[in-house]
Amino acid sequence: MADNNDWEPKIVAFCCNWCSYGGADTAGMGRFQQPASTRVIRVMCSGRIDPLHVYNAFLEGADAVLVTGCHLGDCHYVNGNEKTELKYQFLEEMVKQLGLEPERLYLNWISASEGERFANFINDVTAKVKEIGPSPLKPEGVS
Amino acid sequence: MVEVGDKLVGYATDDEVRKRGASGGLVTAVLAAALEKGMVESVVVLKHIDEYEAVPIITDDVEEVLASTGSMHSVPVNLAKYAVDRKVAMPGKPCDIKAVIEQSKRNMIDLDNTYLVGLNCGGTMPPVLTKQMLIEMYDIDPEDVVGEDIEKGKLIYRTKDGNEKAISIEELEEAGFGRRKNCQYCQLKIPTNSDLACGNWGVIGDLAGSATFCEVMNEKGKKLIENAVEAGRIEVAPASDKAIAIREKVNGVMVKMGETTQEKVFTQMPDEERLPYYREALADCIDCGGCKLACPVCSCGDDAKCTLFHSLGDNYKMSMFHLVRLLHLSDSCIGCGQCTDVCPVDIPITRIQMSFSIPVQTKLNYKPGMNADEKPPFFEVMIK
Amino acid sequence: MIGNVYQTVCPGCNIGCGLYIREDEEGALSIDFMKSSPANEGKLCRFGIKLPEHYSKAVSMVDGAEASIEDAVKAASDKLKGADVTMLNVGNTTSEESLAFKAIADTLGCVVNTGMGVYSELPSECHPTVGVGMSLSDIESAKRIALFIDPYIQYPLVIRRILKAKENGASVVSVGWRNIHLADENKFIDPDKYESELGLDSESVIIADVHPNADPGWVKRMLNLALKTGAKIIFMKPFVNATGVDLLCKGTGQKGLKEIMDGINEGSIKTLVTLDSDLVELMPNSDEAAETLKKLDNLIVIASRDSAVNEIANVVIAAEPQYAKKGSFMNVEGQLLKNNGSGTAGIDALSSLNQNLGGEAMESASLHNKVLEGIIEKITKPKYKELACEVMDIGSMEGAKGNLVFLYNPFMWFDQKDDNDFVMVNLNMAKRLALRKGAMINLTSEGGSVSMRYKVEDMPDGLILTAKKIPAVTEWVATVSTEVV
Repeated sequence: MADNNDWEPKIVAFCCNWCSYGGADTAGMGRFQQPASTRVIRVMCSGRIDPLHVYNAFLEGADAVLVTGCHLGDCHYVNGNEKTELKYQFLEEMVKQLGLEPERLYLNWISASEGERFANFINDVTAKVKEIGPSPLKPEGVS
Repeated sequence: MVEVGDKLVGYATDDEVRKRGASGGLVTAVLAAALEKGMVESVVVLKHIDEYEAVPIITDDVEEVLASTGSMHSVPVNLAKYAVDRKVAMPGKPCDIKAVIEQSKRNMIDLDNTYLVGLNCGGTMPPVLTKQMLIEMYDIDPEDVVGEDIEKGKLIYRTKDGNEKAISIEELEEAGFGRRKNCQYCQLKIPTNSDLACGNWGVIGDLAGSATFCEVMNEKGKKLIENAVEAGRIEVAPASDKAIAIREKVNGVMVKMGETTQEKVFTQMPDEERLPYYREALADCIDCGGCKLACPVCSCGDDAKCTLFHSLGDNYKMSMFHLVRLLHLSDSCIGCGQCTDVCPVDIPITRIQMSFSIPVQTKLNYKPGMNADEKPPFFEVMIK
Repeated sequence: MIGNVYQTVCPGCNIGCGLYIREDEEGALSIDFMKSSPANEGKLCRFGIKLPEHYSKAVSMVDGAEASIEDAVKAASDKLKGADVTMLNVGNTTSEESLAFKAIADTLGCVVNTGMGVYSELPSECHPTVGVGMSLSDIESAKRIALFIDPYIQYPLVIRRILKAKENGASVVSVGWRNIHLADENKFIDPDKYESELGLDSESVIIADVHPNADPGWVKRMLNLALKTGAKIIFMKPFVNATGVDLLCKGTGQKGLKEIMDGINEGSIKTLVTLDSDLVELMPNSDEAAETLKKLDNLIVIASRDSAVNEIANVVIAAEPQYAKKGSFMNVEGQLLKNNGSGTAGIDALSSLNQNLGGEAMESASLHNKVLEGIIEKITKPKYKELACEVMDIGSMEGAKGNLVFLYNPFMWFDQKDDNDFVMVNLNMAKRLALRKGAMINLTSEGGSVSMRYKVEDMPDGLILTAKKIPAVTEWVATVSTEVV
């Protein structure tokens, strides 16, 4: 593996259609500086994000996974993000027990107008992941 | 009249049943009475094959119920799945009953149609290892064994020639024999989650060995006892204070042992060692799916998230099958040990699952298999 | 009892794993684990877990029409009288039925072929070693284990024995194709160096296998290796009663499966009788095998399952399923394992067939006694001398060429569906072919071409492994060219 300074981590961000995807969009339009590490996967609601999607991202080589959605109370589908939160509790506990560094998994609520917040979030995560290096679950032959 | 909460001592009125049963034949008689009086359509019982093997059968024949075996320490099956979709009465160890209750939460079993006669359980043993233990530790030919008992922390075997030999369970377990690993840290010894909690703890004096102590846990338990008394199959009398105290004491000692072992078994590994450990432990998995098939809590069927999102052709560092199962059972694993028993490559899968489940269940203060009205926390996703 | 519970033995290979088959009131099958079974402690592999899918009810047929079993037996005897008959029993059914089948061969004056062509190339004093080399528990006490099989894919229930041996301090060297997790060393070396480089001695164990497509030179080499190093050797086999059939039913003039098929194509075999040995399933190319079998004047199938060959047979004599039979099987370690079922339809049919042909009537109990006599008599092991052998060359391949090797397993022998439609290649090959995720790899050989998914494994460059039947390739090791689709 290349030196950590050159190495660009791969971060998978699950974004909901109505809020956090808009946030990512706003970040781009606002020309906030952010690294090219993120792969955004748009879902209609963060409630759609099953823990197995997160596992899958890690097993395919993601160095960090972000679960993002609308702020609590703002869900386009009444309470989808509350379900996300509940599932995330289990997922977080499990990832912790598995021994994967906690710096690799995040839950964050970002609205469509919070472009700067999105960009800062990505920057923070990227910096943290660069510090701890590639994920131990990354398959052979995947950079 | 019998009331919920009553603690009774009783036995089968039929001498033959009383003699053959493990302790007074009360359980057999209660099950037989439930069947003959039409409370249920069938009964799940163990059919005796030899001292180390019995197979669960579902029967609507009272004679077959009466001929069924007493409790056997080296037959570690879980009976929950035999109650699925039936109007049935069944005996069960605490883990059988836990599994039935978890199945009922998943709408696989209707508890109103299921009568659960719980049996006190200090633990069960793997049959092949038990035979090896008899040869190595007891110097007894496994074929010569006619009976077994656990008393005062000792495992006793009786042989054809009328002799018996006792060795302390602690000593056996230190030598790698004795109870299954999960039984060693199990902390439910009296099945208070059943309808009728039966066992020989607290049976004292003249009745020792020929009567059963039972606690009526709920209305269904009351019905079971009343029905069996009415049918003339059992006689019961209130248990003495001394009997109740002794039962409590035995239970207390066993539960304490379980707690101590759990602390010892589940010491947290350092963060950086856990992932390599789990990967290494699961690396020999041959994807047989036995752990899923044997799991008495699982209810998804053949096509489940754990199987459909997993492929033999995956190039992953950990198996999706195991990751999904570890998560899905984190709130509901009852620690029955069936998965470890059937694993063809001897992965300690119960221990691995429990190392994920214990923190989650503790954090959420959820005890699976105890209360049918308490839904698994993960289910809240669907319910809200 | 509501429904039925049968105590039986898994037909997947000849380890002989004990289990229960449960038949509910509607006839649906499920398995129950039999934890007191000494061979497997109740544990089962992928195939064992899927057994309910494997079993199916056979129906007696005469010339394509459903018939009673009596009519089928009568039709079969009419066709067999005076014919030049070839008989095949690879060992998928009980020793008792196999003996009855052998009795019919005696009546007809022919031999029972076991399909293991390799036996006819080996001197007879080697047969007992290939048959029953050692007990499975001997693996646990070995100091060093040399693996010539891939236990994960081929014989998974051997894994726990090897792991126990490792706990007891054994070291494991795998000379298979793929680097496997439980091995301390994985070696892919010239067969001439086995003796000097594997570090085997009298406290070692060699685990190899024989099967209908086994290379005789390879088996001889394994036997020589055991002889020279003093190591114990066990040959795993793919059929539950392969060992029993070999000990009880073999005559001289053995034919392998390929020889039988060649015989049919050449016209030297006109009448074939098979006992639970479906050549359509057993041969690498099912369609081709079916076409070949259609050339027979008479194909008489005695079957406990509804398998592909039943459709093209002239006569099908349907017996009860394997799990319901009364009888016994001999596993790889020479243990006689009994079913607790009471079904004797198979034996009764074989008995009346024998009677119709002028032989004697037979029944289950006396056949069982003969099994006991026959096995005790033959299980003693004479010594054998070093064997002259040549072994096929499995060199590495360059560029887009690869050597395709089959990892024979129960799903393959029974042509049963499994989630294994992929080939294994190493990372170099995947890079060379620029294989991306989800891409298919196209394999072309003389027999045609096929597209498969791929999986990257740690293994020698230029090798391609498959656990699935690939019709285009019919040899144990074949050169194929590859491309990406």
